[in-house]
Amino acid sequence: MAKIVVLGAGVAGHTAASYLQRNLGKEHQITVVSPSVNYQWIPSNIWVGVGRMMADDIKFDLRPLYKKWKIEFLQAKAINFYPEGDAILQEGYVEVEYTSSEKSGVRQKIPYDFLINATGPKLNFAATEGLLPGTGNIASVCTFSHATEAWQLLQEKIKKMEQGEKQVFVIGTGNPTATCQGAAFEYILNVDFEIKRRGLDALADVIWITNEYELGDFGMGGAFIKKGGFVTNTKLFAESYFVERNITWIKRAGVKKIDEHKIYYENLEGEYLEQKYDFAMLIPGFSGHGFKAYDKRGSDISEQLFAANGLMKVDADYTPKPFEEWSINDWPQTYQNPSFPNIFAPGIAFAPPHSISKPMKSKNGTPIFATAPRTGMPSGVMGKVTAENIIAWIKTGNPQMVHKASMGKMGAACIVSAGYGMTKGTAATMTVSPVVPDWDRFPDWGRDINFTMGEPGLAGHWLKWAMHYMFLYKAKGKPFWWLIPE
Amino acid sequence: MENRLIITKYSDQYYPPSPTSFTLFWRRFIPFQLIRFFVLNWKIIRIVVKGHT
Repeated sequence: MAKIVVLGAGVAGHTAASYLQRNLGKEHQITVVSPSVNYQWIPSNIWVGVGRMMADDIKFDLRPLYKKWKIEFLQAKAINFYPEGDAILQEGYVEVEYTSSEKSGVRQKIPYDFLINATGPKLNFAATEGLLPGTGNIASVCTFSHATEAWQLLQEKIKKMEQGEKQVFVIGTGNPTATCQGAAFEYILNVDFEIKRRGLDALADVIWITNEYELGDFGMGGAFIKKGGFVTNTKLFAESYFVERNITWIKRAGVKKIDEHKIYYENLEGEYLEQKYDFAMLIPGFSGHGFKAYDKRGSDISEQLFAANGLMKVDADYTPKPFEEWSINDWPQTYQNPSFPNIFAPGIAFAPPHSISKPMKSKNGTPIFATAPRTGMPSGVMGKVTAENIIAWIKTGNPQMVHKASMGKMGAACIVSAGYGMTKGTAATMTVSPVVPDWDRFPDWGRDINFTMGEPGLAGHWLKWAMHYMFLYKAKGKPFWWLIPE
Repeated sequence: MENRLIITKYSDQYYPPSPTSFTLFWRRFIPFQLIRFFVLNWKIIRIVVKGHT
């Protein structure tokens, strides 16, 4: 019997656990460790943040499903990794700390034969002074509870506008090297849509603030798409979207500090500037969770498992090299830790070899650029291939990693909602193939121009709406869930 | 009351294309969008399938 421990029950972790239980059966033990009992469909947070969905519409309790699937569930968070065991327990284990009310703070050793670290990112709000969602006029849509608070704050601002008071909405990235611009992009478009729907646009200034060098970078170095008889860049696409909606923007901005009324940022020119606001939703920086790893003698071996940013090292090429020498071959394919082959890190938990966008520094030396996104579809695919490789390893006894999913080969789709409604709604369907540009294979545009696109329209809203229900159906393990692709 | 953006010449907002009413019509025209819905679905499924081995 093999013991497989999955840390995290987000897109990557839950996907991995689902395929493991389906293919391994009851003779193997699967344990999922997550600080929350809920699975949440994060892409729909933005609809909670504008009051179009409730938190309960986008999440469900995992425990009944795992009970049915005979998966052990521990409401806990990982603290320390002991991949060789210790003097007492002679097998690899992870030390966890319970977060459930009845066992809060209790620590336990969880031994494993295979470990999947799918803990995602730490939302590093502390890296930006004053960036605390739920305080003052600051909101977040990173979790369903944050999004619920964002909607409450937004309603207060809408009421003020209804009373004739002008409001400034600033939405974007809240850290010089933040990623996940797509979520903020969706949120600003939805906030703008809701303001216009209420006829309050004359009383609202809606401003996008971003660490991107140009709009439409999205942490992927932008993309080329076919549009109106031309091949154009997503810069034009994103800017056009904003101009159409009277949204203004501040780019190349690294937010350093935020107080109750002002956002303080530095730009690539090295200028220190301020932006007044009444409502701010700024995506924080992401980091690892600060896990520690020890060998069997108790010596700290964290550097073997984790990169400097706290994310887990996998089969990527971490050799420092200039931007001009970056290649898709730098990117991992199996998400397997090089020092401990029975440890994997799919999803945001893996340390990328470098960003996708070109790293930029201000004249003062502050790095200001968008870091690489790994959310949504790529996370699900990584979770699935990780499960498939472990299943093959257990069934054949052969540790060859047959299943591969490199971000330099896989594509991704992102449906950028710009307003909710089956006849009045709209969204931009954006696809890139591959996620990391492959300039050797596609020397003209870096990606397959026939499968890299950005198309605004009502169909995009239908797609996003359908995906919401389809992926929750899949996550709930309803009949034939495995037929739905990641 | 509509808030018309006053675009400063030579600012960033001065340059990007803005959709015409014709373009906006097609973005909302349900029969056309139904066709696009299926085309987009097919493209996304193809991307997912060829993305991993």
